[in-house]
Amino acid sequence: MSAALNHDEARAVSLAERAEIEDFLYHEAALLDRWDLAGWDALFSEDGRYEIAPISLGAQDQLDPAKVLFLVADERGRITQRTIRLMKKSAHAEYPHSRTRHLVSNVRSRAEGELFLVNSTFVVYRIRREELMTYMGENFHTLRRVGGALRIVSKRACLDLETLKPQGTVSIIL
Amino acid sequence: MLDMPIEKDSFSEYVSVDRGRQRFRVDRTAYSSAEVFERERRTVFARCWLYLGHGSEIAKPGDFVARAVGGRDLIFVRDREGQARALFNACTHRGSTLCRDAAGSARVFTCPYHGWVFGLDGALRDTASKGGYGPAFNADGLYNLVPVPRLEVFRDFYFINYNPAAIPLVDYLAGAGDYLAMIADQSAVGLEVIAGAQSFSCYGNWKLLIENSYDAYHGPSLHQSYFEFLDNRTASTNSAATQSGFGRGLGNGHGVFEIRLNSGRPVAQWIPAFGEAAKPLIEAVNAELTGRLGAERAERVGQRQRNTIIFPNLVMNDNLAVSIRSVYPQSPTRMDVKVWAVGPADEDPHIRKIRLDNYLTFVGPAGFATPDDIEAFELCQRGNDHGAPGRWSDLSKGMTADEEFLHAQGDFMDEAQMRSWWAQWDRLIAGKDRLSMGES
Repeated sequence: MSAALNHDEARAVSLAERAEIEDFLYHEAALLDRWDLAGWDALFSEDGRYEIAPISLGAQDQLDPAKVLFLVADERGRITQRTIRLMKKSAHAEYPHSRTRHLVSNVRSRAEGELFLVNSTFVVYRIRREELMTYMGENFHTLRRVGGALRIVSKRACLDLETLKPQGTVSIIL
Repeated sequence: MLDMPIEKDSFSEYVSVDRGRQRFRVDRTAYSSAEVFERERRTVFARCWLYLGHGSEIAKPGDFVARAVGGRDLIFVRDREGQARALFNACTHRGSTLCRDAAGSARVFTCPYHGWVFGLDGALRDTASKGGYGPAFNADGLYNLVPVPRLEVFRDFYFINYNPAAIPLVDYLAGAGDYLAMIADQSAVGLEVIAGAQSFSCYGNWKLLIENSYDAYHGPSLHQSYFEFLDNRTASTNSAATQSGFGRGLGNGHGVFEIRLNSGRPVAQWIPAFGEAAKPLIEAVNAELTGRLGAERAERVGQRQRNTIIFPNLVMNDNLAVSIRSVYPQSPTRMDVKVWAVGPADEDPHIRKIRLDNYLTFVGPAGFATPDDIEAFELCQRGNDHGAPGRWSDLSKGMTADEEFLHAQGDFMDEAQMRSWWAQWDRLIAGKDRLSMGES
C-alpha cells in the first residue's frame, strides 16, 4: 500500500481534497468514539475491507492476509457482522462499551486514479473497568468517491506495539 | 495405585471431592495465592514437559527463535548439522541476554557486552580478547552455552523439560500423543507454523485459560453472539445445538473434548460459506486423507473438532483451524499467552486463506469469541480477588460417584476433562508424583 504512494501515476491532492480527506478521518473517529457503529459501517464501499495487521511482523503495510495471520481481516460482510456483534449485550468483552478516544494526526494523502491513498498516525485511548490502555500506530486508508461522498475501500491499522501486553485484546475498532 | 480408594480421594487442601454428593471443587485461593504460584513453579513448571516450538520454525540450519518457556529465556536453534537444540539465552560470561532478536537466521550468537561468540551448538568460539585466559579455561566446556536439560520431539512438536531425570516425552504424553498425531496427520508432508504469532497478556490466573480452552459448556452462553454470526454466515439455525461429542481425561492430566460441528474445517469439512471454488479443493484434501489414513481415521481427523490440553499449559485447538497456545503465569493473577496458527506446509493458497479467515473470526485477540473468553477470566478473577462469597469453584458436571479422575469420561458438555487436569495438578502440588525416573 505505501508502495503505491510512490507510484508514477500518483498526484498530489488539492487543498480542498486534503481538507475533505482529513474531515472524513475525523468524522470516522467521532463515529467510533460515540459507538455509532452502523454509521461507521456505512462509511465503507461495497467492496470495502477492514484489517489489523499482525504486530509480530515487520512491513505490516505490505502483508497479505491470505498468507499470514492478521488480527482482523474483514471483507465487507464481516465488517457489518462485527458491528452488529459489538452492539449486542452478548458481546461481553465490550459490554458495557469501553470509552475510547481516537486521535488522528500526521495525515498524508496522494491521489491515484479514482483513489485517494491516505496514511495517518493514530492513538486510541481506551478505558474499561477503570483501566486505561493505549493503542498506537499507523492507518492506511484507501478512499474512493461513491456518489459524491468519500467511502473506505480499505482500511489497514498497523499497530506499533510489540505484543498485546497489557492490552490483551483489540475488542474495539481502531 | 489409582484404583485404590484410599489413594483416589487423598487430595491436597485445594481440591475437595464428595463422591456421595458427586461434587468436585477447587479452592479459589488456588487461582490467586502467591504460595500456589511458587509451588507451581517448583512442582509443575520445573517438572512437566513444556512446549518449545515446532520444527518448521527452524526449518534450515542457522534458523532460530528466542522464546520464554516456563519463565526462562531460551534459544531454539537448528545447528549446522541440522540438529535442533534448546539453549539458555544467557551469555556464560556475565549472564547477559545473548540473542535479542525474536527469530532469524544466524551463523553464531555474539554477546553484545564483551563480544563472546558462541556457535549454533552452544560452543564458546571466541572471547574477543588478545589474552588473559589460560588454555584450560574452557577445556571442559564450562563456558559453552547451557543446554536445557531435556529436549524431545513428537511428530515435529518440540518439548523441553527442566528436570534431567524426567520421564520420556512419549510416556508423559500418554493418551494425548494420539491427539497431537491427529493434528500432524492432517498433512502428508508436515505442518508449518504460519507467520503472525499472537502474544498477549491479561488479568486472570493462568489456569482459568486452561479450563476455558476445553470447556464446551460455556459455548452457547458466553459465545452466543459468535454462534449467531455463524448462523448468519452458514444460513443455518442454531449451530450450537448441532454439536455432539465426548470429553475425557487422557492420563497424566491431559484431556480433550471432541465434537462434530458443521462449522467447516480447511482439513477437511467444506461448508457453503467457503464458496463453490473451495469445494473440489477440500474434497481433494479429503480424498488424500482417506487414501493415506483409511476412511475411519480420515473421518475423525478431517471431520471432527477437538480441543486438547497437554498438561499443564499447552492448548491444541484443532477446530475451525488449528492453533497452538501456551499460557504461563506472570503473577498469581496475570497470565501471558502465545498463540500460533499451523497448517499443512503444502496447503493450497485458497484453502490457506479460508484457514486464516476461519481462525481469526473466532480465535484471535480481535476475533468474535476470544475477547469474550478473556472477559470471562477477568470476571472470575475479579470475583476471587474481591472476596466473592463461597470459597470453592465447582467442576462437578458429569461426575460419577466412582469416577477415576485422571481418566474421567463424559459428554463434551461435562467437565470430566477438567477434573483430570486438576487431579494431576493436585498430585504434583502435593508431591505425590514427580514425573521423574530417579530421585531428582
